[in-house]
Amino acid sequence: MRPPQDTVISRRWFLERMAWITTAAAGAEALVPRPVMGAERTSSYLREIPISINTRQQVGELTELTISETVDFLRRGVVSPEDLVRAHVDRIDRYDQFYRAYAGRPSLDALLASASSGTDGSYQPLKGVCLAPKDNFYTTDMLTEGGSLVFEGFQPHYDATAVASIRSAGGLIIGKAQMGNLAGGRAQVYGTTIPTTRNAWTPNDVNYSPAGSSSGTGTAIAARMAVAGLGTQTGGSVVGPGNAQGLTCIKPTFGRISLHGVIPLSYTRDHVGPMARNVMDAAILLQVLAHPDPNDPRTKGLPPAPNYVGSAAPTLGLNAPVRWPTRVGVFPGWSDPGDEGVARMRADFLRDLESMGNVQLVGEITLPEQWEELTSQPLGGSHGDPTAFFIEPLRRDVRLFGDRLPRFLNGMLQSADTYVKVQQARMLLLHRIQTQLFNQCDVVLTEGSGAFDGTGMPVLCMPIGFDTDPGSGMSVPRGVNLAAPPFGEERLFAVAAAWQARTDYHTVRPEDPVG
Amino acid sequence: MKEKTIHSPSDEELNVYIRTRYQLLGVDISVLPDSDPDAPMDQERLLENGRSILRQEVVAADFDIDPQFNLPVPHPAPFVAWTEEVEK
Repeated sequence: MRPPQDTVISRRWFLERMAWITTAAAGAEALVPRPVMGAERTSSYLREIPISINTRQQVGELTELTISETVDFLRRGVVSPEDLVRAHVDRIDRYDQFYRAYAGRPSLDALLASASSGTDGSYQPLKGVCLAPKDNFYTTDMLTEGGSLVFEGFQPHYDATAVASIRSAGGLIIGKAQMGNLAGGRAQVYGTTIPTTRNAWTPNDVNYSPAGSSSGTGTAIAARMAVAGLGTQTGGSVVGPGNAQGLTCIKPTFGRISLHGVIPLSYTRDHVGPMARNVMDAAILLQVLAHPDPNDPRTKGLPPAPNYVGSAAPTLGLNAPVRWPTRVGVFPGWSDPGDEGVARMRADFLRDLESMGNVQLVGEITLPEQWEELTSQPLGGSHGDPTAFFIEPLRRDVRLFGDRLPRFLNGMLQSADTYVKVQQARMLLLHRIQTQLFNQCDVVLTEGSGAFDGTGMPVLCMPIGFDTDPGSGMSVPRGVNLAAPPFGEERLFAVAAAWQARTDYHTVRPEDPVG
Repeated sequence: MKEKTIHSPSDEELNVYIRTRYQLLGVDISVLPDSDPDAPMDQERLLENGRSILRQEVVAADFDIDPQFNLPVPHPAPFVAWTEEVEK
């Protein structure tokens, strides 16, 4: 059997590459965006999307279809792209007044025109799939405001490469999703601290957070107002809302998805992350998006994208084993989070993992040397990065930044000495995660994702159960984060596929809003 | 030799430093309310955060890293990204 990509990539090669990115941060002026020429690469692996086991009647509402089901239903002529557009627009028209997941939407006519447009005959794996990118992806047909007064009224003149890739694959941008102010926190009324987007599981209670900063994308998917979407993650902003809303999301290895046309926060920590309802859909999106982009040098020189779709397909056989033998480690304290219900859920999850074939639980890992020092402020931070991008609006009016102002001003207080130390510390952390953490396991269960965001390693989240929120008394999903070494996406997909083949937490949908 | 008499700066001294630094770079924080917990941001919170960041500088300065821990190969192959080499 072909080994997963994380076992065949030279660890030294990845370390060298990240060092280059760090060095290049000082020369970012050379990376002035140019109009994207179109992202036409879609892998042949996308033809391996499995057929659906559900009938049209079993699915019920069309908004319940996943990406892989949509592909299959369209292939069989059970539905049309126009049917899918109308179903999603109807649902958004009816319920987004409660959820407030969208910042902007195209007209129905424009969507129908896109849905019915012909192709040059090339395979379009996302044909008719309604997707909700976060409002920090440039779109030519909708404003891109980044959840902030800083970008209020901003109309890009080109699509972000990720958006162009989706459109090229036949996908439809059903709307731009609300987001936390400049990619921080939950979505709010611009320039205020008044929350907008609600968690899809508590649509009548604004106090229960949808998490951020990809709040709107998370809510839109969970509430069946989009099939899947695109978030961005600099510090947990994809897996946070993913876990809060019962989704399966992947924050891939740094450079796997182009950041061209995404409002930047940090040159070295930003990632695009597919957000979906199950692991197959997350893998399909990553397959579409993982390609080199002439407008983003960080995507260059990587090993070719492997067969993500294949790795996300469940295996056959007794207990549907994980596709490759995998050692699973646990961060110290992960099993005892301080909440009895969550602790019990995690214990059950570990027991189930162990019962799956090809999984070896190795227990709590020993943290690499100086872990606390290297992962906490100031060495684990990135103060200078956002300041560098936003000097003009900071001079224009600091009030535009609302409650996020300190994050954007802090870089002005950081010395060059500290910045160099931060970069060195990050390289040291990267080296030690590879040599002192992933020598103990292939996948690690972790509470937060910060250390893996800063070092560019892949993280996947998925639901493992439900708990009662003490505030609203409502049932809400709980998830886990799984991290892997560079290019370990296949490994993460394989573990999630085996888990989702034997559980149905990822298929449960929240109740509709009342009112 | 004269004995060292370096003292840790007070909050007031750091506030002056922070305001001066912002002013030097053309950033005006006086448009924010002095202190208003209901406002998205006020000068009091901003300065408090700034003082915290500055005091963290000491932690970073104290971080002892091997001066021979050099970043491995600062100019590796991805340079081809800017040389128009055909993607294989």
